[in-house]
Amino acid sequence: MRQEFRYAASGLSARAVWALLAWSALEILPTAVFGLMLARAVDEGFLAGRPWTGAAWLGGVLLAAAVGALGAARVYAALGAVVEPFRDRLVRQVVRRSLAGAAAGRPEPGALSLLTRQVEIARDAYAGIVVSVRGCLVTTVGVTAGLLALDARLAALVLPPFFLGLMAFTATLGFAAGRQRAAAEADADLTDAAGRVAAAARDLAAAGGEAYGEAFAAGPIAAQRKAERALAGAAALRTLCFAVGGWLPLLVLLVAAPRLLDQGVTAGALTGALLYILTGLQPALSALISGLGSSGLRLYVALTRIRPDTGRDEVAEADPEPGPLNPLPLPDPPAPVLAAHGLTFAYGPRSTPAVEDLEFAVGPGEHLAIVGPSGVGKSTLAALLCGLLRPDRGGVAYSGDDAAQLSPRELARRRVLLPQGGYVFTATVRENLAYLHPGATDEAIAASAAAVGATGLVDRLGGLDALLAPRDLSSGERQILALARAHLSPAPVAILDEATCHLDPAAEARAERAFAERGTLIVIAHRPSSALRAERVLVLDGGTAVLGDREMLQGVSPLFRVLMAHQSGGATP
Amino acid sequence: MTAVPAAERPLTFRAAVRRSLAWLPLIAAAAVLGSLGALALPLALAAAVDAVAAGGDATGPVALAAGLIALGVACDLAESSAETACAADAAARLRTGMVRRVLGAPHRISRFDTGDLVARISAGAADAAHAGPSAVGAVAAALPPLGALAILVWLDWRLAAAFAVGLVLVAMVLRLFAKQTTAAARQYQAAQSEIAARLTEALDGGRTIAAAGTAGAETRRVLSGLPALARHGRAMWRALSAAGARAAVAGPLATVGVLAVAGFLVAAGRLSPGELLAAGQYAMMGAGLGSLTGVVAATARAKAAVARIAEVHDLSAMSYGTDTLPPGTGRLEFTGVTVDGDAGPILRDLTFAVPGGATAAVVGASGSGKSVLAETAARLRDPDSGTVTLDGRPLSALSRTELRRALSLATARPALAGATLADALGPGRPRTLIVDAATAVGAHDFATRLPAAYDTPLPDLPMSGGEAQRIGLARAWHAERLLVLDDATSSLDLLSADRVEQALAASDRTRLVVTYDATQADRADLVVWLEAGAIRATGPHGDLWDDPDYRAVFAR
Repeated sequence: MRQEFRYAASGLSARAVWALLAWSALEILPTAVFGLMLARAVDEGFLAGRPWTGAAWLGGVLLAAAVGALGAARVYAALGAVVEPFRDRLVRQVVRRSLAGAAAGRPEPGALSLLTRQVEIARDAYAGIVVSVRGCLVTTVGVTAGLLALDARLAALVLPPFFLGLMAFTATLGFAAGRQRAAAEADADLTDAAGRVAAAARDLAAAGGEAYGEAFAAGPIAAQRKAERALAGAAALRTLCFAVGGWLPLLVLLVAAPRLLDQGVTAGALTGALLYILTGLQPALSALISGLGSSGLRLYVALTRIRPDTGRDEVAEADPEPGPLNPLPLPDPPAPVLAAHGLTFAYGPRSTPAVEDLEFAVGPGEHLAIVGPSGVGKSTLAALLCGLLRPDRGGVAYSGDDAAQLSPRELARRRVLLPQGGYVFTATVRENLAYLHPGATDEAIAASAAAVGATGLVDRLGGLDALLAPRDLSSGERQILALARAHLSPAPVAILDEATCHLDPAAEARAERAFAERGTLIVIAHRPSSALRAERVLVLDGGTAVLGDREMLQGVSPLFRVLMAHQSGGATP
Repeated sequence: MTAVPAAERPLTFRAAVRRSLAWLPLIAAAAVLGSLGALALPLALAAAVDAVAAGGDATGPVALAAGLIALGVACDLAESSAETACAADAAARLRTGMVRRVLGAPHRISRFDTGDLVARISAGAADAAHAGPSAVGAVAAALPPLGALAILVWLDWRLAAAFAVGLVLVAMVLRLFAKQTTAAARQYQAAQSEIAARLTEALDGGRTIAAAGTAGAETRRVLSGLPALARHGRAMWRALSAAGARAAVAGPLATVGVLAVAGFLVAAGRLSPGELLAAGQYAMMGAGLGSLTGVVAATARAKAAVARIAEVHDLSAMSYGTDTLPPGTGRLEFTGVTVDGDAGPILRDLTFAVPGGATAAVVGASGSGKSVLAETAARLRDPDSGTVTLDGRPLSALSRTELRRALSLATARPALAGATLADALGPGRPRTLIVDAATAVGAHDFATRLPAAYDTPLPDLPMSGGEAQRIGLARAWHAERLLVLDDATSSLDLLSADRVEQALAASDRTRLVVTYDATQADRADLVVWLEAGAIRATGPHGDLWDDPDYRAVFAR
């Protein structure tokens, strides 16, 4: 918890805080002078038989309220300068981390809800905390000044128990936050379990799994109940802290009152001091307690979800601006463009390797297809070949250079990966197509678009300068644009990972031909026809991998035979 | 299935309150006692101040005030703990009941959206659980402001009059400065959704971005909307400042007038200085009238929540018989089956039979009622008229265990629930059966490649549509006599589909297969061709193929 609050406090700009405090001082003026003026009103006015003088003093209270209103208005404006930078920081963190996660193949669950919901909760709660903390701070200062102005002896009696309660509350914050966090987590678990049971209710019934479903939800329900009940302890502590800080000063004052009056403290001053407690200290303390109790908790929970990285907070987005990608000089003597040596990878220590001891090489301009049933590890292999996954053993080399030693930018100069979901973003068509080759001329862009059959689509979208709205594009259209982009990339090797699955067979054939003419091509095949177009085929069959041309595979691979049978017997769609 | 009688009654606000009855006397006593103590305290303080000012013995009044303060704290403690415990228990009870209803009424549950159901189970139950405490709280909360007004009148009617004038002034101030603040908020939300939209796009392109090494540039692109967001955010705070100023003026307005009148009364000897202090406090308490709307709102919220969750809570569970099946091969027979939907019948008078061990394909254009037929065959729905029998026994007469042992359903988009992959494959089933089923549908290899094999937590599972379908098939695999497959292999690749096909052919169970695939229809012994909820024709695929309308069903 400490860490979260340090994070929350660390971004405060001193200037914004001082501005906020200065306006707060003005806002708190009526509270600070209330007791003082009432004491005068009673002593010099109402008890002295001059009621109009007393009324005039009370008029002063209203005047102070008007000044305070001026301050209150400015406080909110100043609050923006404190709160918005904090929110900026959180947005930056969420965006940076979720993108880094997505790029590393570990997509952040609920990244969008973090951005739109949790960040907003944090913003709101942060403001709530700032308001209640500075309210309590400024009120305490104001009341202290007022009490001192009334009589120092009154201040000496009232303030110590108040601060005692304040400190007790601060000391128990950690405990309360722990309980609250447990409750929030139990709540999230419950929602999660309820969601899964609700979504699968019919499926569970069909499988006779009703009892399992009830038991699955029963755990989180009971845990949530327990966590919720445990909150009562935290609430009791808060009540006790308020009793010490808010009520004890009053009692102390009452008990000491006879002696104070003997020592010359006036009845008006006593009334004023009581009012300071009742209208100043008590509301401020209760606002602080409820503010920190609710907003503090909400902030804490939101921050634990957002998990802001306290270490590298303001590090600029690291990689350099994408510059033109120059073709690489050819190595001498010529090594295979892409080679895998003893490539082995498993997702966990207990799991069967998805790829094991794979050995092959692809020469310049060669066209290789990879086939196999879904779930056999084809996409894993693509990620390994691209250097996006580190193998457990063995390695991948591009023209003799170990992929593990190459930076992301260097890898991008050697190969382009085209995954299943064609990536397009809100920007011009040109920006989308030249994404991997920022310096490309319009002619080059048009040539690549034509090669993969995207010219018609680009024209329909309104040309290269048209703004592209991804949600208006079908999956097939996205894939065509992504194909054109990959085709334009200067990288000599292209790896298509089911990148044409939303295209019809004719469009797929055209795109694959264009890439085969472009340079080295590795296709993770979606349809058997892709395998027919390749010079060599790598057949993955859960544990075994066979590489060869079609004739050879017909002889040795039963899986390949099944595949070809489907292709030739294709009477049905 | 033993039912709790109280839980079977329809859920109303009154019923929800009654269920918390054990706690309510304690909560009510604490709340009312606390309110009365708070009302008496200013008078006690006044007595103490006056006794002190008069120089007399103030021990009595001071002790009284101290006692009232202690009483208030004690009541506060008792009320809040009792309320928390009461609401926590009630929420858990409501949730357990709702989960049971959701699982027990598969034929009714499709009316609700999943997100909606979750909201009712989590937030809805939490709000509804406050039904009891909020009903009591509304009464107790009205006590201090109303009592304060009464005491003001009792002290001196002019105090009450001054208070009323103050309230009018407050209302005027609040109205005077009322201002629209929604425009800024709207622009802020627009800026926020723009950032969110860009982030969504980029997240979808994670692999492309990783391969291109452009994560940094993408971050900059997504964050380019941040300055606008900050600008609108500050504008929102500025818009709030008017509200802040209003509250600052309105606050003292209600009390200063009362204090001034009290002052004149003190000067005239009608009130003591202590009573002046008390009048000020009662004026503040009376101003709490405004926040009473909050209490009423809390009750209204609990009421609305009860009504919302009652829709789920009052679902009647699917009823099961007690029969078991006679020996048989799994002959499925529909006789005059009609299923009504919101807009007319979905299935009309269907009569057909699938011999035991045979495969029947159900084909038809989308919207022709194929999935409803599958659900009816798997008894996730009951026909509104007509009967469905398995080996001569009506499905509705079978016990739940017998029914689910005999038949099962796999769909195109199976919803998976459970802690681990094994749970998703066979909820509550022994591991050996789960592994057998997974092996049969070719999911075993997939499972063993995962980080923790069958114990891999479900949320960590990398899953394509094909993977999910395989898990769904494995989950239904245990059925002894009838397997209903609703487009259940459509996302499998050719090779995997082939394996499943072989495994299916090797077992002798009856199969009812909803499909869009002509090959599958061709392989079936019998085709049931649906059109607009009625049977257009039945027969072998080869015979029907001559009809151009039939061929059109497969042209997609």
